[in-house]
Amino acid sequence: MNLREVLHIVGALIIWTAVAMLPPTVIGFTEGLAVHWVLTFGVTASLGAVMWFITPRDVSINRREGIAIVGLGWLAVVAVGSLPFALTGVAPTVASAVFESVSGFTTTGATVFPVIEDLPRSILLWRSITHWMGGMGIIVLGVAILPLIGMGGAQLFRAEVPGIAADRLKPRVATTARLLWGVYALLTVILGILYLLLGMSLFDATNHAMSALATGGFSTRTASMGAYSPAIQWVTIVFMLIAGTNFTLHYQALTGKWFPWIRDAEFRWYAGVAGAAVMAVFLFMGISGEGWILKDAAFNVVAVGTTTGFVTADFGAWPAFCQVLLLGLMFVGAMGGSTGGGFKTARAVVVLKHAVSEVQKVLHPRAIFVTKLGRALIRSDILANVLAFLALYVATHGIGSLLLAALGHDLLTSVSASLAAMSSIGPGLGAVGPASHYGELGSASHIVLSALMLLGRLEFYTLLVLVIPGTWSRWGGDL
Amino acid sequence: MRVVIVGAGEVGYHVADRLSAEKHDVVVVDVLPERLEYVQTHLDVAVVEGSGASPSVMESAGVRDAGLLAAVTSVDEVNLVCCMSVRGGKNLVKVARVSNPDFYADGAHLRPELFGVDVMINPERELALETLRLLESTAATDIAAFAGGAVQLIGLKVTDDAPIAGRTFAQIGAEGGLTSMLTVALRRGDQTIVPKGATEVQGGDHLYIVGTDNTISASLELCGHKPTTVHRVMIAGGSHEAFYLAQLLRQHRGQATMLVKERDRAQEFAEKLDQALVLNGDATDVELLELEGVGGVNAFVALTDHDETNILSALLAKHAGAKQVITLVNRMGFLPLAKLIGLETVVSPRLSAANAILRYVRRGSVTRVATLKDSEAEAIGFKVSSGSPLVGRRLADIEFPEGSIVAAIVRERDVEAIVPRGDDELLEGDQVVVFALPEAVAPVAELFPS
Repeated sequence: MNLREVLHIVGALIIWTAVAMLPPTVIGFTEGLAVHWVLTFGVTASLGAVMWFITPRDVSINRREGIAIVGLGWLAVVAVGSLPFALTGVAPTVASAVFESVSGFTTTGATVFPVIEDLPRSILLWRSITHWMGGMGIIVLGVAILPLIGMGGAQLFRAEVPGIAADRLKPRVATTARLLWGVYALLTVILGILYLLLGMSLFDATNHAMSALATGGFSTRTASMGAYSPAIQWVTIVFMLIAGTNFTLHYQALTGKWFPWIRDAEFRWYAGVAGAAVMAVFLFMGISGEGWILKDAAFNVVAVGTTTGFVTADFGAWPAFCQVLLLGLMFVGAMGGSTGGGFKTARAVVVLKHAVSEVQKVLHPRAIFVTKLGRALIRSDILANVLAFLALYVATHGIGSLLLAALGHDLLTSVSASLAAMSSIGPGLGAVGPASHYGELGSASHIVLSALMLLGRLEFYTLLVLVIPGTWSRWGGDL
Repeated sequence: MRVVIVGAGEVGYHVADRLSAEKHDVVVVDVLPERLEYVQTHLDVAVVEGSGASPSVMESAGVRDAGLLAAVTSVDEVNLVCCMSVRGGKNLVKVARVSNPDFYADGAHLRPELFGVDVMINPERELALETLRLLESTAATDIAAFAGGAVQLIGLKVTDDAPIAGRTFAQIGAEGGLTSMLTVALRRGDQTIVPKGATEVQGGDHLYIVGTDNTISASLELCGHKPTTVHRVMIAGGSHEAFYLAQLLRQHRGQATMLVKERDRAQEFAEKLDQALVLNGDATDVELLELEGVGGVNAFVALTDHDETNILSALLAKHAGAKQVITLVNRMGFLPLAKLIGLETVVSPRLSAANAILRYVRRGSVTRVATLKDSEAEAIGFKVSSGSPLVGRRLADIEFPEGSIVAAIVRERDVEAIVPRGDDELLEGDQVVVFALPEAVAPVAELFPS
């Protein structure tokens, strides 16, 4: 492990984060927070600059450096990202500032603030910016814009992009990263313009567009999307679904391939699951006398299913059937290659198909079964990786729930909060339901949930490798 | 005509045999001297040792003066390179055997003109198609389609209690049976005859009937068989034939269970064949056959590369109760034996390959050739070309040679098959299916110039 080379790149990422702090700093001057923001920016920028300049310039990244850059880079960025919340004094504790920052960058959207409208506009903008940077990925952004991450870029790319296998749009990974960010930025601008046309203010439109495309969930209102018109909510439903879809497909559509989504097996499952869940909730609510509320059913199911976490209704008060269904959606999450989180549709389908063939194997012991997603063969090593991922997901969720329960939270809160954190949803059920917030949980719970959010966003392997001693040894493979 | 055949394997040998018997000058090219030795001692042909992919070898085989080049080695790439690199006369027709399913995967197809190939043949797929047609009419022993399936030739064994057993063709015709179809040949023992009105049908006879698609089921009943549909088929073997058959079954909504002995091949089949259940095991593993319920399948098809394995596994399946058993037999010497031990339905890759190539030897108006397995009799499809003297003439006025019979006329305009009568007139563009005993093949071909 060449730590100095790693720190060089991490320094660059911190500088980039400092650049992203400039817009809220400008707004900070208008609301009496000039000193706080300048201090924040100065600390961040100089930290990054010091790391950048004291470490060597000529960088070669191999596998272990690549993983360390992604892991340490994320830890560093969420750390400096918490500075605005801490230094402006809006966050009551250090842990809550870290929680808010992690929740932002991991596009979770869980907040510690009970009344959003009380926050300074510079802080609101910063929250949305953290979403937007974390959505497509700070490392993917780094690969796209930092020329020095050329050789090891593929390694970094794979470590950050969620899903079974990161597809490459172009032979060169930097080009791929640039294209993905381009599509992402374009869609964000389109949604922002739609919001403006539907009557949102420029500030709200900017924030919500960034939040929606990142499948984040931070809003500028305590009532979240519930504060806006039905037309805005319907547009948001569509864009949440877009954000939860593999961005490779959007790129193909933009370059003239005719309706590429429907040809993708994972998308068919993703859309099918979302549609079925919306109908199930809608019909169940209607039949059980809670009211025929198609818009609210669609909005909240899609918001949870795509791991965005905007809300328009208190689904914590819905019948138990709907809540259990939502818990299931929290687990499965969005598509691989999207900005969404969760176990990922493709993995869930692959695991189920594999389970079915294991059952068939009882009848036909000599049969050879292969697992396919659409027409793509899932090789046995990838299958093993997916199964291990399932084990990690379940185990981490179990440990997380156990820790939260040990800290004194009730069953529903513990189970749903840890799942909502890992899958980057935002609102859970129980004490952290849509009508509530995460502010009252206490510092210990904030730390536990922050860890869960990071593990879920980076899909375990990248972070867990950092705690294996062999990663840090000078010689490598002595595990 | 000089014919150069590259590859002295099963296919090449059989094609050489047929063409040499038809008085063509045949040169066989192969890399293995012992194969050439065998060919030379059994057939009246010349041999050249060397690779078909080498232009100089092909030059010494006399390809410059040849009318037909048939590259039929078991290696597709050699066949293609051979056709690409030879320099022949401008009348040379180049036929390449391309069998690997990978070349046809996902609806893609090689463009023959890029390789200088006039015709690509795929005997393995032809055989799978033939097997599928046999599966669709369970009782059939032979089957061949003409004019894109509008007309079929089917071989049927007459059961002892069949409605037509013990009657003459005149009687059967008078009672209204077999009106929309035509019995073109009858095989009793070792004898093949073209039946006349007074010929009596007996139980155990083999009838060769030509008819349209929907009349075939009627002929099944007349011969004492019940029509069935294909549901569950067990296929033994990791061959290309087995692969193609599984693919075809899927298109026809049948469920295939495949027995593949080689682990890698089984894995490949499992990956490429979505609906099939692929088992890694030997076709003669009695325990495995029982476990997978071989007795309950509609049909068992043995398509491994080994005749012995095919015959043995087919017998096991038949014994266990499989309703229909189809066996692939390569060696012609095994054919009588297979019949003797009760394996009625046999397919042969040599025949399907030869049929595909013979069509291009009798160039011009010939559209399809099918050879019956037991006899050398052929059903040949001809096209009536625009300048043909046959246009506008009644069948009764055309002198067809002894031992031949017009089995069907397919008229393109309404894509309808006509069971011919003497006063039917031939029109331009008609496809005529003629059934001919070997001695009548050449005279019939002369009637239909290109």
